[in-house]
Amino acid sequence: MKKVTDSKKISKKNIAKLLDEWRQEFTVFVPWRDEAVAKWARWDGKDTSFLDWYRNTVVPPKAIFFPPMEEMFSFQKDREGYHLELPASDEPKQLIFGIRPCDAKALAVLNMTFSDAYEDPYYLAKRNGGVLVGLGCTNPYDSCFCTSLDSSPTDSANVDLMLTDIGDDFLVEAITDKGKALMAKTSLAEAVTRADEARAKDVKETTYAKVTKKIDTEGIKEKLLSGFDNKDLWEKIAAKCITCGICTFLCPTCYCFDINDELVKNQGERFRSWDSCAFPLYTKMPMENPRVEKWRRLRQKVCHKYVFYPMNFDVIACTGCGRCIRLCPVNWDITQTLDNLSAEAQVKMEK
Amino acid sequence: MKDGGMEQKLRSEAKALLEQGKVDYIIGFEAGSLKFTTTPLITSDKDDIDRLVINPFIVNNLSVYLSELKGRAGIVVKGCDSRSIVSLLQDNKVARENVVILGVPCSGIIDLGKVEKLVGKDRDEIDDITQDRDRVVITVDDNRREFPIREVLFDNCLGCELPTPQEYDILLGELTSAASDEDKIASQKKINSLKNIPPEQRWEFWRSEFDRCLRCYACRNVCPACFCQRCFVEETEPLWLLPVPRWQDNLVFQVIRNMHVAGRCTDCGECERACPVNIPLRSLTREMYDMVDELFHYKAGMDKEASSFLAAYEATDVEDFIR
Amino acid sequence: MVCYMTQESEWEPKLLGFLCKWCSYAGADLAGTSRKKYPANIRVIRVPCSGRVDPLFILKALRLGFDGVLVSGCHPGDCHYQTGNYYARRRMAITKKFLEYMGIETQRIQASWVSASEAGKFVEVVTEVTKEVKEIGPNRLFTDERRRNGTKTTE
Repeated sequence: MKKVTDSKKISKKNIAKLLDEWRQEFTVFVPWRDEAVAKWARWDGKDTSFLDWYRNTVVPPKAIFFPPMEEMFSFQKDREGYHLELPASDEPKQLIFGIRPCDAKALAVLNMTFSDAYEDPYYLAKRNGGVLVGLGCTNPYDSCFCTSLDSSPTDSANVDLMLTDIGDDFLVEAITDKGKALMAKTSLAEAVTRADEARAKDVKETTYAKVTKKIDTEGIKEKLLSGFDNKDLWEKIAAKCITCGICTFLCPTCYCFDINDELVKNQGERFRSWDSCAFPLYTKMPMENPRVEKWRRLRQKVCHKYVFYPMNFDVIACTGCGRCIRLCPVNWDITQTLDNLSAEAQVKMEK
Repeated sequence: MKDGGMEQKLRSEAKALLEQGKVDYIIGFEAGSLKFTTTPLITSDKDDIDRLVINPFIVNNLSVYLSELKGRAGIVVKGCDSRSIVSLLQDNKVARENVVILGVPCSGIIDLGKVEKLVGKDRDEIDDITQDRDRVVITVDDNRREFPIREVLFDNCLGCELPTPQEYDILLGELTSAASDEDKIASQKKINSLKNIPPEQRWEFWRSEFDRCLRCYACRNVCPACFCQRCFVEETEPLWLLPVPRWQDNLVFQVIRNMHVAGRCTDCGECERACPVNIPLRSLTREMYDMVDELFHYKAGMDKEASSFLAAYEATDVEDFIR
Repeated sequence: MVCYMTQESEWEPKLLGFLCKWCSYAGADLAGTSRKKYPANIRVIRVPCSGRVDPLFILKALRLGFDGVLVSGCHPGDCHYQTGNYYARRRMAITKKFLEYMGIETQRIQASWVSASEAGKFVEVVTEVTKEVKEIGPNRLFTDERRRNGTKTTE
């Protein structure tokens, strides 16, 4: 366990300078607002006002490593056949500044998926070149519930460097070797005092307590499975869902994609793009569609995250970021659903 | 619009409808899981009825659920939503005898985005938002601030042409008056500003807006007029648009969606509200609505005896553009 | 926007025409059998009726790169299916106006009534339309100079 005194601190006034230093080596991504939509974008070299408004983005940082649309290759067709041209496979050096613990944990989940039976070259090339500089929260939303999912608003488990807001400065902890290397290069880091450490501890505890939404994940797998065939319950749960793709597209752990070719005369491209299990045609096959009814799709979505993914990877594929709750046009709330299902399962078990 | 009287009346009427077997389920609003949010309540259980609410946050257009549900529904609608029901009746998508319309006279819905901008705080950091007739009181950290209600209502509420449903079975309160002409103009500021810039710039504007589009289809799914079993974007033979979110295809999708709902879209504004990346979709829907009104003197969702706009024609339809 | 010069020839607009089978297509055919000359810029798709034309076809044509689209049908009152062209008339009005609002040049979307005997009118229409589209230049609406390997970034 690293000693807290290994930490350094950086003044908030020096963040622009720090980002500028990093910019010489990396493409730096920061939270950025476009028409009031918070997302991730390349730092413009001067504006650090995001430090004032940033709580979390609408579009998660997965969009940097797993973009909404990506060209897999282009091809030409002639008499000899198809000639493929692959995009560059280098590992772009990208630094994500200010990633929240929930999103960083989600990237760890994506890593598992994309390096499981098949190593996804598109994702891994980007991810391997990526450096994550985490920023602990101080102002969680009322829709956040990371504390129920083995994490916290100041969790440093999945980043290279972890920043904690202690007022005029950020406390900086190097978590990985990549992080240590970054800190070694900069002269902007200052020594940390006992008061700083105490402040950091206080911030972490206070912020943890600010997360008010909670779910009980005790035995959640068994509870969900026990109600799996309860069509009436699932129909009621799914009734107000409009099966758009907002929750899945903006979820930092969702990874489904569709592959399509576009051929114009003798050349074309193969794209992959985000897909959603909530869409009616997601499981459509020539002969049938096993999930025509919306309740089946919603059941699958919930169980994928809380039952099937944990069965395969030992971790719940949800990090409690709350985007699905905040942005759902009908305020469908997964935490309410899980509570209802748990309660039903409880009743059933007691019978 | 917070009116304990309307809520009580709604609950007793809804309960009666279920108990007397006049409807199979009730579609209304209940308190949401987030502050100042409501969420649809679709239930056939009369024990759920006491959760029904009426307040300035009942934003959803619940008529979107009528296309998919079987059986008879008792549905809570504001003026704008009731026009969507009229549109559905014109399209023969819903049978009048299968709907019991519980009309809510609406005095406008509060746009939390506007509130957040006014006080510089996010929704969950605000203590209270209370409407008091033509004023709204917003409390942040025990600090009360008052604003005219018009500053926090949705844009299309500002220009509302039918606050109280014309088509209803049970009216839950007193009639409210429609917007004045100045208000209507104010609600269309963005569209008018677009019309004042040259065509190439307009196209560039839409190109940059649709660059953000993720093709989540929330706009389509939340729209009561979009009820096709298989949308044109889901067609593969022929393949009109790849599901890839390129701005070109995103733009074509939205333009065609507007064409397909022309004369049936009542500018309820749900598409713009649902969009997670804040594309100003009402600048398209409202323009289409006004165009149909201007060229054909037809307002969507007003007369349930009228034919659906695109399924009708008049001998006098404009044709000066045809060679 | 003026047309540009390639090495040998000037730019020629590519036009797509949706011609209704019973009137306009027959009229175009008659122009052909009568050996009337008209600009070869137009490519024709035959549809059973002008009412078959969905605004989607027009926009897809522009998306693909056509410089102009012409929809032509029977005169009002003469539709083989009685009322198809009336629906088309309504639809074309809003299509043209709405796309103009979006910022698409109004000359790119054209409509005409051409009957089966009006070979002369067909020639006139195509000639006029070609001239108008040539004047406004190639359709660059959907080209994307900013494309980076087809990858949509988050920005």
